[in-house]
Amino acid sequence: MTTTSHSPATEPIVTVRGLTKSYAGRTVVDALDLDVHEGEVLGLIGANGAGKTTTVECLQGLRRADRGEIRVFGLDPVRDADRVRAHLGSQLQSSGLPDRLRVGEAVALFAGPRASGADRLLEQFGLAGKRRAPYTGMSGGERQRLFLVLALLNRPRLVILDELTQGLDPAARREVWSAVAQLRDAGTTVLLVTHELDEAEALCERVVAMRDGRVLDQGTPADLVARHAREVTVRFALPDEADLSGTAADLQALNRLPGTVAVTRDRGQVAIRGTRDVIAHVGAWLVRRGDPIPADLRVDIPDLESALLTLLDQPARSEKEAA
Amino acid sequence: MSATATPAPATSSTIEDVDDGRHRSASSRLLRTELRLLTRDPLTLTFVLMFPIVSMLIIGGSFGTEPDEVFPVNPAHWYVASYFTVVIGATGLIMLPVHIATYRERGVLRRFAASGFPRWSFALAELAVGLTAIAVAGPLLLAVAAPVYGLPEIDAPVRVAAGIVVASVAFVSIGVLLGTVLPSARAAQAVGLMLFFPSFLLGVGGPPPAVMSEPLREISERLPLALANDAIREPWLGIGTGTGPLVAISVIAIVAAALAARRTAL
Repeated sequence: MTTTSHSPATEPIVTVRGLTKSYAGRTVVDALDLDVHEGEVLGLIGANGAGKTTTVECLQGLRRADRGEIRVFGLDPVRDADRVRAHLGSQLQSSGLPDRLRVGEAVALFAGPRASGADRLLEQFGLAGKRRAPYTGMSGGERQRLFLVLALLNRPRLVILDELTQGLDPAARREVWSAVAQLRDAGTTVLLVTHELDEAEALCERVVAMRDGRVLDQGTPADLVARHAREVTVRFALPDEADLSGTAADLQALNRLPGTVAVTRDRGQVAIRGTRDVIAHVGAWLVRRGDPIPADLRVDIPDLESALLTLLDQPARSEKEAA
Repeated sequence: MSATATPAPATSSTIEDVDDGRHRSASSRLLRTELRLLTRDPLTLTFVLMFPIVSMLIIGGSFGTEPDEVFPVNPAHWYVASYFTVVIGATGLIMLPVHIATYRERGVLRRFAASGFPRWSFALAELAVGLTAIAVAGPLLLAVAAPVYGLPEIDAPVRVAAGIVVASVAFVSIGVLLGTVLPSARAAQAVGLMLFFPSFLLGVGGPPPAVMSEPLREISERLPLALANDAIREPWLGIGTGTGPLVAISVIAIVAAALAARRTAL
């Protein structure tokens, strides 16, 4: 596994070294090291059960680590819980508000001594007209936007957002993404926990991929894609399938193109897998042939999801050791 | 969503503890919110306010007004004094367990904890909410009873006050404890109703002990709600001092309060 150390210019405001946490004998977080730097949007990604939520719960002092050291703003999040939480804004997974609490009352309830700009936040997140709306009557997207308002209300130095868009429809997800992008642009430090990789790719400057409580790799989304999902695939249908000798010649020609790793054919569709150069070479080959460009021509460019799937396909350390 | 700028985060490199003193404390904000939500809770309105009043009006008029071998005092007054305890029981065994279990089930308590509410703020808020519910519903029950059956004269006011305070603390604590132990709002409702109705029928608002069979009377005398009732009713109607039940319910109050405080720490 390749792990790069990311060293942004700013000092880390969260440092985690050797964090280990088990439930009923099952290790959920295993000797985890993590840094969150001031002003960055860091994504914790991984499949369900990777230990992401337990990690951020330990950061907030909601759970005690079995082993390891955690420092948030230089403080112990359990021993100095009051001081740490005063500077943390968080959206917890599976947490809510009392059904009959109204938006305006929720803001008043969570507004601490450092709170400012509540009206501006409600305006910004499209809730200014909902001050009297009870929590129970709000849509999923409105609730998540309210949680964002509450998370930001006390001008936190660090905002932790755990599965922020879980269960939201695509339009509501886009709304919430736009809100997080505004935070990023305003320079707020955000720790985003998600298993939605398009979300991480769209919002995070750096991601940490986890499996079985361990860090698999970390870097910018582009770094991870470059390291773990380099191959592109170009697909199209070859005309005149009846001409077997012509088809065979075409496949051989495609196989010889620079950057090609493999050419496969399935029910008339050809798939050329290779480095990014292949896109240009296949395009040039199609133009040179003189036939009309296939209407079903498609290029699959790898994304963070492909990279994570590749990472998750790697055998775990325990399996390697057993082997 | 508009494009208004997000408030800038605090940028100092060290943690500042800023409180200019004008801001309401987190505990005070939580208490005010919980009291406000209490008035919007249909379970409170039904079980703590309406149920004791309606039951008292029905039962209180069923046995006339003359003492006899079954009732040592005016039966209507017997039930008026008894139903004050029903308010306490409904608050502790139904309202609070369901309320708190709902909060736990929906992650409201985790949200409070993560948002920096002080460790004991929720426990104090729930104690205050429970006592407030009793302080409102109890006098309301007496206000309804007064023009219908008249209010029984209080024989030993200090003992009655002590009985009400100790019984209220005991049952509010039991309610908070149940809410933190039971796994869901549905479970809290089921267990609460199962505890409340036998206690209510055997120990407080049902048939008088004189008409019960020996085993039933034995059971009813040991029920915590019956002990609370005796600690209040005996000195109120002048049919005893209520000292034994008051001591017993005081022990229950201390144990339940200690356990409830431990369980509700955020």
